[in-house]
Amino acid sequence: MRFILRRLGFYLIAFWVSITLNFLLPRFMPGDPVSRMFARTQDRMQPEQIEALRKLLGVDDRPIWEQYVDYLHNMVTGQMGVSISRFPTPVTEVIASQVGWTLLLGGTALVIAAVVGNLLGILAAWRRGGAIDSALPPVLIFIGSFPYFWLAMGALYLFGVTLGWFPIRHAFSDTIEPSFSWEFMSDVGMHLVLPALTIVLVSVGGWMLGMRNTMIATNAEDYITMAEAKGLRPGRIMFRYAARNAMLPSVTSFGMSLGFVVGGALLTEVVFAYPGVGYQLLNAVQGLDYPLMQGLFLTITAAVLLANFLVDILYVRLDPRVRAN
Amino acid sequence: MTQARFLRSARIAAAGLAMGAMVLTGCSANAGNTGSAKADASAQTALLTIPREDMGTFVRNFNPFAPTVAPMTQQAIYESLLIYNPANGDTTPWLASEWKAAEDGKSIIFTLRDGVKWSDGQPLVPADVVTTFALQKKIKGGYDYLDTVTAEGTNQVKFSFKTAWSPALFDLGQLSILPDHVWSKIADPEKDANEKPVGTGPYTEVDAFQAQSFVLKKNPNYWQPEKQKIAGIKMLAFAGNDGANLAAANGDVDWAPQYMPNIEKTFISKDPDHRKYWFPPTGSMINWQLNTTKAPFNDTDVRKALSMAVDRDQVTKIGMSGYTKPADCTGLSGNYETWKNKEVQDNCEWTKLNVDEANKLLDKAGYPKGADGKRTLKDGKPFEFKISVGAASSDWLSVANVIAQNLAEVGVTAKVDSPDWAAVVAGYETGDFDSGIVWTANDPSPYKYFAGTMGTSTVKPVGEKAFENYHRFGDPKADALLTEFAAAADEDTQHDIADKLQEEYSAVAPTIPLFAGPEWGAYNNTRFTGWPTEENPYATLSVRAPTTVLVLTSLEPAK
Repeated sequence: MRFILRRLGFYLIAFWVSITLNFLLPRFMPGDPVSRMFARTQDRMQPEQIEALRKLLGVDDRPIWEQYVDYLHNMVTGQMGVSISRFPTPVTEVIASQVGWTLLLGGTALVIAAVVGNLLGILAAWRRGGAIDSALPPVLIFIGSFPYFWLAMGALYLFGVTLGWFPIRHAFSDTIEPSFSWEFMSDVGMHLVLPALTIVLVSVGGWMLGMRNTMIATNAEDYITMAEAKGLRPGRIMFRYAARNAMLPSVTSFGMSLGFVVGGALLTEVVFAYPGVGYQLLNAVQGLDYPLMQGLFLTITAAVLLANFLVDILYVRLDPRVRAN
Repeated sequence: MTQARFLRSARIAAAGLAMGAMVLTGCSANAGNTGSAKADASAQTALLTIPREDMGTFVRNFNPFAPTVAPMTQQAIYESLLIYNPANGDTTPWLASEWKAAEDGKSIIFTLRDGVKWSDGQPLVPADVVTTFALQKKIKGGYDYLDTVTAEGTNQVKFSFKTAWSPALFDLGQLSILPDHVWSKIADPEKDANEKPVGTGPYTEVDAFQAQSFVLKKNPNYWQPEKQKIAGIKMLAFAGNDGANLAAANGDVDWAPQYMPNIEKTFISKDPDHRKYWFPPTGSMINWQLNTTKAPFNDTDVRKALSMAVDRDQVTKIGMSGYTKPADCTGLSGNYETWKNKEVQDNCEWTKLNVDEANKLLDKAGYPKGADGKRTLKDGKPFEFKISVGAASSDWLSVANVIAQNLAEVGVTAKVDSPDWAAVVAGYETGDFDSGIVWTANDPSPYKYFAGTMGTSTVKPVGEKAFENYHRFGDPKADALLTEFAAAADEDTQHDIADKLQEEYSAVAPTIPLFAGPEWGAYNNTRFTGWPTEENPYATLSVRAPTTVLVLTSLEPAK
């Protein structure tokens, strides 16, 4: 219990630091939302309208500490205000309408990449120098080092345009209405394949290498030799003795990645025109949309911290050494 | 949970996921045979499909006052009193059948067209116009010259100005008119989402609104029912040009108004019989603006010499892929074609490449070339400065690079500085920059353009934010002409004054005009015909311009 309380205290401080950064960073950027909007529309807006627009959007001219106090209060009470780049939609609504797609895409890709990557890593380390160990890591690292959008566009062009196997844009076809029908679900699944595939391809190499390396270290431990000496089945030794002990770093990075899923996969979303929060975040940064940026950063921060906290707790279960401390 | 159970459940979960992945890929293989994107498109032949490249998702907001209004609101749902077409200089009466400016230039009376109805069946009345302008002034500001807007009789509206203001006609005439009987009841017109818009436009009925697509169907009470030949408009959301370009290349959209690099190869070549593009130079004049509050840019000779050092053919060919033409001494883009002063055009010197003359002029102005071939300023420092362009604009960046190379030939060192646009514009606004590639005002009348390039009234001191005239150049002679222009009610007089303004512009060179911004536009006439072309320029191919409604009311399904 004391362990959990201590961790909670740490997370509260981390949370405060990060929301303070969220507040400060956007304000270090030059310009303000209205002049950015003006610069973007170029000749389409009248200079006389800028004052009115500033008033309409509620651009803040107060001293920064007053804004900060207000901001902290709003964060604690969960009021995130109205988005500027999507005025007059409330920030919570902007995030809520899109975070689902991001979670679906990021979550699916993460789980597949982590499971496949870890399994491959286990096998590679178990049969060092075997086919999987010698062929796969270089191939996966090669693929993983491609620029993200390049791989996405390549997949899009090959499987979407040339072969026509998969749809080339959006989260579902514009001809069907969202519902809980099989037709809609399979349509969503279809639209998910290419974006998720590119994320998996890029990230699976990292999972595999990480797992392989810790697993090799574990394989040299005495208890593995001991288990072999006892004549246990190799599969049992591989999963229950070696893999289980090698899994801890993977669990940590899984937790981290889980938190970051909320931030969206910007490039993938842009290439596939997937309606997640990644593009919204880019838009918010470009448009200096403080409320939306703060809302998104808060969500990401909260998700990362929460995921880490869960991993911490899970660790207590997985690793007795933590408990003893 | 014991260790063994934990592992077992993990293994089951992994197996489940693998199955899931297989199901997904399996079902995708099936769907590939039955319904590709192309099949979807042909099943809905009736809808004119248009991509929107800078909105990742749509918000159901049809409030024209909202900065992030849904696309087509001001093009298909609401209409304006008149429409100015920059491609051929014509003005088409639209919701107003005629208008008359007072002799003294202090008022205009618009007569509303007979028989125009809102999409809910109510007739268009003068009160609609009055309310629209009241809301516009209250919410968005501007129109400072406007004194009163009053309904006259049953079908006329009178706009009275504080002083004579001739540019008002298009300023007033091109504002989208809203229905009084709807908007007077809206509690908070600034923030209302106006989810079910009532408009006079050809396509007003919102249908099947999704996060990434929506449809606008026919207005049942349109005043030109014979021109509603297409069943409706479908908008698709894209988070960037790439996705929209792919959709265009793939033949999924009928109209492609976004910028496409190397359009001949990426778009046209796939079906040259049906795919066309037309980039009329009717966008705003793109200038290389020098901060005239700084030496040596406050010297007219320097500006002209630098201008002569620029190879505009190279600029347009390399920087703009040959999609536009070099500017001339009038400083006016193709948008102002009918206003151009032929004499200034014919005697044009300082916007043509002439390295010798540029060198001579710089020598004469007192910026000598050193032994290393580089010029120095009057205080002995090297003649060096920055050209700021936003990093996102790759075309303008290469324009700036071409200029920098050209300048090296006359011994001037220019460095291209390309941070984020926001940082660049922040510098422009406060006057903290050397030079930059900048757009200009683009209106039917050149008044605002000249006011923004050389009017004293738009000059703000360095440090104070400016939203036009970033280069901070004011010329009293131009001021006098601008005042005269504003007071001239009659169009011939306006043209005479505009001629003089161009002479003055050419004499003082407040900015260095580079090229007219092209209006991007491409289409695919497989499903719809009747598009504007260079031979029949009844509108541009823009989907965000006042002329868009002219295209919407001209297109018809292909036979």
